[in-house]
Amino acid sequence: MRVAATFAPFLSSVLCWVPSFIDSRQPHETAFNSGDVVQFPAASHRGAGALSQIEALLEAIVDAVHSGDELVIPYRSVRSPQNTSDAGLVSADRDGRSTDGVRFPGRTIQETWKFEALFRIIELSHAALLSGHVITKRNIYYQNPELFRSQSAVDNMVDNLAFTLGVGREDLNIVAAAKGLVSGPIDLILCDGSIHSCDTSTDTGVLLPSVASIRQINFRAARWLLVIEKEAKGFPDLTTRRFLCALHSIRPDLGISVLVDFDPDGVAIMRTYRYGSKRLGHEENVATPQLRWLGILSDDILLDVTSGDNESQEGSQSLPGQETSIQGSQNERPTKRARVTKANTPAESISPLSQRDRKKAVEVMREISAAGSMNGDEANQMRELQRMLMLNIKAEMQMVDNYGDITGWLDIKLTVQI
Amino acid sequence: MSKQYLTAHTVDEAHPAEIFSLAPTPTSILSASGSSALRVHSTTDPSFPLQQTIPAAHKLGCHHVCTARGGLGTVAASVGFGGEIKVWTRNRAGNNDTAGEDEWRLDWELAPSSSKADGGGDVWAVALSADEGYLACTTSDGRIHVWDIAARERIQTYETGARGGGSFAMAVDLSRDGRLTASGHESGAVYVFNNDAGRMVYSLSGLAKPVRAVAFSPGCKRLAAAGNAGIIALYDMEHGEHVGNLTTPSTRPAWITSLDWNDTGEYLLSGSLDGKVKVWDVARGVCVATHSETESALWSVRWLPKTERALGPGMGKSEMFCAAGASRSLTFYREATGS
Repeated sequence: MRVAATFAPFLSSVLCWVPSFIDSRQPHETAFNSGDVVQFPAASHRGAGALSQIEALLEAIVDAVHSGDELVIPYRSVRSPQNTSDAGLVSADRDGRSTDGVRFPGRTIQETWKFEALFRIIELSHAALLSGHVITKRNIYYQNPELFRSQSAVDNMVDNLAFTLGVGREDLNIVAAAKGLVSGPIDLILCDGSIHSCDTSTDTGVLLPSVASIRQINFRAARWLLVIEKEAKGFPDLTTRRFLCALHSIRPDLGISVLVDFDPDGVAIMRTYRYGSKRLGHEENVATPQLRWLGILSDDILLDVTSGDNESQEGSQSLPGQETSIQGSQNERPTKRARVTKANTPAESISPLSQRDRKKAVEVMREISAAGSMNGDEANQMRELQRMLMLNIKAEMQMVDNYGDITGWLDIKLTVQI
Repeated sequence: MSKQYLTAHTVDEAHPAEIFSLAPTPTSILSASGSSALRVHSTTDPSFPLQQTIPAAHKLGCHHVCTARGGLGTVAASVGFGGEIKVWTRNRAGNNDTAGEDEWRLDWELAPSSSKADGGGDVWAVALSADEGYLACTTSDGRIHVWDIAARERIQTYETGARGGGSFAMAVDLSRDGRLTASGHESGAVYVFNNDAGRMVYSLSGLAKPVRAVAFSPGCKRLAAAGNAGIIALYDMEHGEHVGNLTTPSTRPAWITSLDWNDTGEYLLSGSLDGKVKVWDVARGVCVATHSETESALWSVRWLPKTERALGPGMGKSEMFCAAGASRSLTFYREATGS
């Protein structure tokens, strides 16, 4: 997944970063602004609880070894949402969790392996909590790839362990490898005293550190924040979601918008930033319901496909030079902005939905419907998905850019907000 | 020479979400929208009053509802975004029964798992045969299933690609004589099947862009197809030849979402995403009327069948049509009389 979050003080500064992440190889970016240093909230007060729980767990195992009893690590699974079929009857068991413990010696070889791997994770978490350092899931895997077998095995066990202990993943001092990038005129002041200045406007942005490690933020002149999702291969990561949620809690006046592709995954990603994810429902402070869905919306597309004869002759839409013009537009805002509301539509930015897309759209609609009351936001999301299915098209955000320059479109959209 | 149509009436906010599909009977019009209820408005009264609301018909909203073209108007079928098909029936209109007996009732429901049959793609467009006995529905993997409504069984499946590999069938129609089935696809292809022989008879080219509407003329001699190309292609059904296009001079016409022939087969109605509804004189190949209440997208346009019944005062005898879409309202037009 690629996500970019951006803060910019004035609309004009947007230009500086936009081209870079449109073509960015990096997952995340954020640009900022505003004028003051704000204390970052202590990430969680559950951390101490997690340490004592982990220690109690380890003690129980030691006791069991002494007494010769069976060793048990309490362990419950967050059931994967995958097996919800499209039969239409599902969604009943929203609370689908299974209870169990992992034993040693296990009833199966599989269980023995699981115990060993889990025990190692607990050990690593314990060491991280004691030392006050944070360890990444990736790091855990590379401690012993033979034992863990796969990164996803580690990811699952970490999340299930956190869920079992009733804490967040970060409370175990375990985080996902940083994916988010921050770009814009703000400074992140970390607990170790280092200052990460994010206004390297021409470049790729600063990797988002874990929320727990941020002590203060200097907002300087930041007035709004834009989250940009690029190349959705997975889901918004916890670190970025925590960061957004924390930002909103300390600076609720700072408008936060999200820009995602017009496709079912884009809607799902936007919803994850807003409402959290089903799978990691036990995590706290990871949702930002105030997030504004900036686009791409069906109206942006309808405007284009319904435009009659007035402009955009066929020939003018499919100029190949998109990539190269990105470089050229990095520094200066283009003086001509006549066509911003109806930017060019490179043929490749709109494509038909695949069967998988259509299924995914219905899946997201079921989630919205199952959430109960249809307020304005939810009705809006339903409408966008319905239109997507009716039109049978999806559109990437290049759809609204003007040969690689998305600032004109953003100017208009964000001006409405400010 | 153009024809004149006037706005006869607009039912504002006919649904709480945008209207995706219309299906007329001789005395009423059914509408389906992004909300869960189907609605029925009378077309015999100049105020087009709401006759019936069918609540919770389709939980995730409904994208297609159909009645039989030229049929009695006692059967309707609807497809929800969740993939379920529902067949609705009511007593034959006009026999002065109590109002309650004139209401639509659920007759048959095909769950998503059975509607797509054999685990194929999800169901999309539907059409009813003129005798109201058969239901044709398309799937996202390019098949067309035909169901016998009374027997409640699938009697035919037309494939348009290697098993499960067909292009999304976005539109379907059945000829009034029951002989032919036509499908319009995302790939731009239009296929015609002979129902007696149970096989494809024509593979029609000409549009190259997604086809969103196909419609047989009442006499079953012609097939009209339209979609993202923004033009209407006309095909002869005797030999499967492309016999012409209906277009207006425009470099980039809006996507056409809906087509309907009038009862005499002289005129075609089209609706498009730019909010324009057009009436075409088929013989002369020209657009004779263009209307646009708003610029918001139209999803469905339908002629109201000519009816033998006496219409309410003020209804006249002129031909009428209805257009609906993103505005959520039903707009009724009638031909200006005295021309």
